[in-house]
Amino acid sequence: MLGRVVAACGLLVLSGSVPHESTSGRRDGLVVFAASDLQPAFTELGPAFEQLTGQPVVFSYGSSGSLAAQIELGAPADLFFSADESYVRSLAQRGILDRASTRVYAEGRLVLATLRSSGITVASLDQLLRPEVTRVAMANPEHAPYGRAARQALVSSGVWETMAPRVVMGENVRQAAQYLLTGAVEAALVSSSLALDTALVSAPLDPALHQPILQAAGIVRSSSRPSDAQRFLDFVTSDVGWPVMERFGFVRPHVR
Amino acid sequence: MFAEGLDLVPALLSARVAGLSTLAAVTLGTPLAWLLGRYRFTGRALLENVVLLPLVLPPTVVGYYVLVLVSRRGPVGEVLAAAGFDLAFTWRGAVLAAWIGSFGLFVRSAQAGFELVDPTLEDAARTLGRSEWGVFWSVTLPLAWRGIAAGTALAFCRAVGEFGITLMVAGNIPGRTQTIPLAIYDAVQGNRMADANALSLLTLAVVVLLLLLARRGARVRF
Amino acid sequence: MVSVELLSHLPGFILDVSWEVSDGVVALFGPSGAGKSLTLNHLAGLRRPDAGRIVVRGRTLYDSTRGINQPTRDRRLGVVFQGFALFPHMTVAENIGFGLRRLGSADRRARVGELLERLGLGPARDLRPHALSGGQQQRTALGRALATDPDLLLLDEPLSALDTPLRRALRDDLALALRGFGKTAIVVTHDLGEACQLADQIVVYEGGKVLQVGRKADVLGRPASPAVATVLGIRNVLEGEVLEATPEFVRIGWRGHELRAANWSERPALPSAGSRVSFFVRPEHVRLMRKDRYGAPVDRRMNVFRGDLVGETDLGTSLALQFRVAGGTPPARGYDLEIEISRLAHEKLHLDYDRQWTVAVQPSAVQLLEVPGEPIGTILPIG
Repeated sequence: MLGRVVAACGLLVLSGSVPHESTSGRRDGLVVFAASDLQPAFTELGPAFEQLTGQPVVFSYGSSGSLAAQIELGAPADLFFSADESYVRSLAQRGILDRASTRVYAEGRLVLATLRSSGITVASLDQLLRPEVTRVAMANPEHAPYGRAARQALVSSGVWETMAPRVVMGENVRQAAQYLLTGAVEAALVSSSLALDTALVSAPLDPALHQPILQAAGIVRSSSRPSDAQRFLDFVTSDVGWPVMERFGFVRPHVR
Repeated sequence: MFAEGLDLVPALLSARVAGLSTLAAVTLGTPLAWLLGRYRFTGRALLENVVLLPLVLPPTVVGYYVLVLVSRRGPVGEVLAAAGFDLAFTWRGAVLAAWIGSFGLFVRSAQAGFELVDPTLEDAARTLGRSEWGVFWSVTLPLAWRGIAAGTALAFCRAVGEFGITLMVAGNIPGRTQTIPLAIYDAVQGNRMADANALSLLTLAVVVLLLLLARRGARVRF
Repeated sequence: MVSVELLSHLPGFILDVSWEVSDGVVALFGPSGAGKSLTLNHLAGLRRPDAGRIVVRGRTLYDSTRGINQPTRDRRLGVVFQGFALFPHMTVAENIGFGLRRLGSADRRARVGELLERLGLGPARDLRPHALSGGQQQRTALGRALATDPDLLLLDEPLSALDTPLRRALRDDLALALRGFGKTAIVVTHDLGEACQLADQIVVYEGGKVLQVGRKADVLGRPASPAVATVLGIRNVLEGEVLEATPEFVRIGWRGHELRAANWSERPALPSAGSRVSFFVRPEHVRLMRKDRYGAPVDRRMNVFRGDLVGETDLGTSLALQFRVAGGTPPARGYDLEIEISRLAHEKLHLDYDRQWTVAVQPSAVQLLEVPGEPIGTILPIG
């Protein structure tokens, strides 16, 4: 009995020795750290890029803040796509990102979303005060850019005080969307890309209600493949890549 | 239910990471559990609490501090990097993270096992000619076995499910450090629920199987 | 031959003992907490004393002045622990063979088989301790301790873990087994009956000290002091004044009467006239004189008293009567002597109704306890 248990354990441990990541012939993947809201778009753009250039891309998704912290501490990222330009700026200032490579690749758009199946539609912020909307989800303004923007919009519309007791905060904008999708809340303030989900209906919010959500990216200085990283960065905003981004709700940054 | 082309790499990676982490937990934890369970000494309570700390603190917090220590710029990471050994953002980091998250569980359980051993039995073994090492192997260890086996199973299950610390210390890099829990998280984030379900069921099946094996293993008689 | 000198300090307790015994069965007897088990632990090397010396059959196991302290595993001991301490994860055969590692497997199997046979454990050889009866457990523990043919056998309250009805039966088995051992066996017990049945030498312990060492008969028959008498549970410990002392007898003044005690010939010193002396009379040696014989001449050397029965205690098979000597001031507790008689005698003598009696005590039944100048312990001559 004991022998069998030991053998099973040994097998488990050894099984991990199966080669992973790069199979023979394939080049090592370009490592892109990307904010979670880019996942749907990049899931398409990654293979497309590989088709085009032969360079495979590996994506590591997470919240911009923890990704930035990891890059600072030496994570093996080649490229960083943040949902918030402040992280890119601070990392560039400290020389962790190549300052020259940094650029704002998109502008975030905030929308008001509801579940299609609930029959509730909300066209503007004051309509959130209707009795059938018992709870509203948004990202946490403390550390999520979409959360900050949502709060700014609510404040400038004068409904923040009244809304506050009904607000449910998600870790990030994706979690806010999940609250809505699971029916925990009746409405949510999410990014336009997340609202593309067919289960949701959404109404855009006037961008003037909040400070622009600028999404920036930059190449990591310690990367061993800055030229490949540059190529992907260009690809995302190119004529080939940008339509995909647009399809997923990203908007070109306005020059202000 | 199973998505086409389900990537099993996270499963294999998890197996290796959890396996090595549990091995480390048992190897380092058994003598520690023995010490904590059999002797009274100053600082014993403190040591117990230090061991339990990672179980009590939020994983992201633990992960952050560990990362600060073992990243290339950190005090420990620097030394290791000089020796050509990379810990952060590699599968080795995942092993470390899994070990940190599960070590306390193993020690607690094994310690309870050792505490139950009647010291008179050890004395009897001494009077019958055994050396201290012999006493440990022939009497103490077999009698503490229940606690050790249970602890091993618990530690392994916890290691398989380790998320927060791994996310920080090893990162969420598919193919390199993306263990099953991270893969499930990614799948949920990317709205690929079929993949998420498949991986979750796989994990559940493995864990249940292991717990059953562990129960039988605990009944092993020496 | 085992010689022991131990000094050990514990919080609130000091063990300071020194004794020597020859081959045979020795009982360390005394109340709980007297230091008997502690002595055993020191003998076994499980606890280290502060100072002392332990020599067993010419081998020095411990000597603080020479820095000798043999580890337990090298002391060649066999120990039967209180509660037996059988290994729960091993069978009877494995328990017994545990100390026989040094032998080859064939020799070990033979030796284990021999012991199983001798102790009647053959049918139980593959059972685990939890499946054994109390008696089987005791025999397994004994077998395990004897397997290695140790120089010294130590038993710590070997019967206290058993139920009372079982205890007597197993005591007989144990006595037989110990007698067959040959070398020295030391049994710790707080039960006098156990000590008497199992041992031929007794070491009396109290409060971390040894009060008396000697052959069983000597210790029981001639306790060295009132303290020993108390530990032994001896009743009728009395005090009086020496009127006259000769090598044949000692006359004691007690309660207004004159008591005649036979002196024992080996006593080196004579108590001086006028000194206080302690003595005792065994309750079973105080005889109630039959009233139909009152007229008969009484040996004038017999101690005779008149008095009343003032109480009695039922002990089951016998009764303890409380007797107050007539005349003079009675003692604070209300009676002078305890008399033990059988139930039959109680009925025959109609003691329920008839309370006035004359009692007689033979001089040889009056035992002196303490005489100044006499040493308390005695070293036994070998053999």
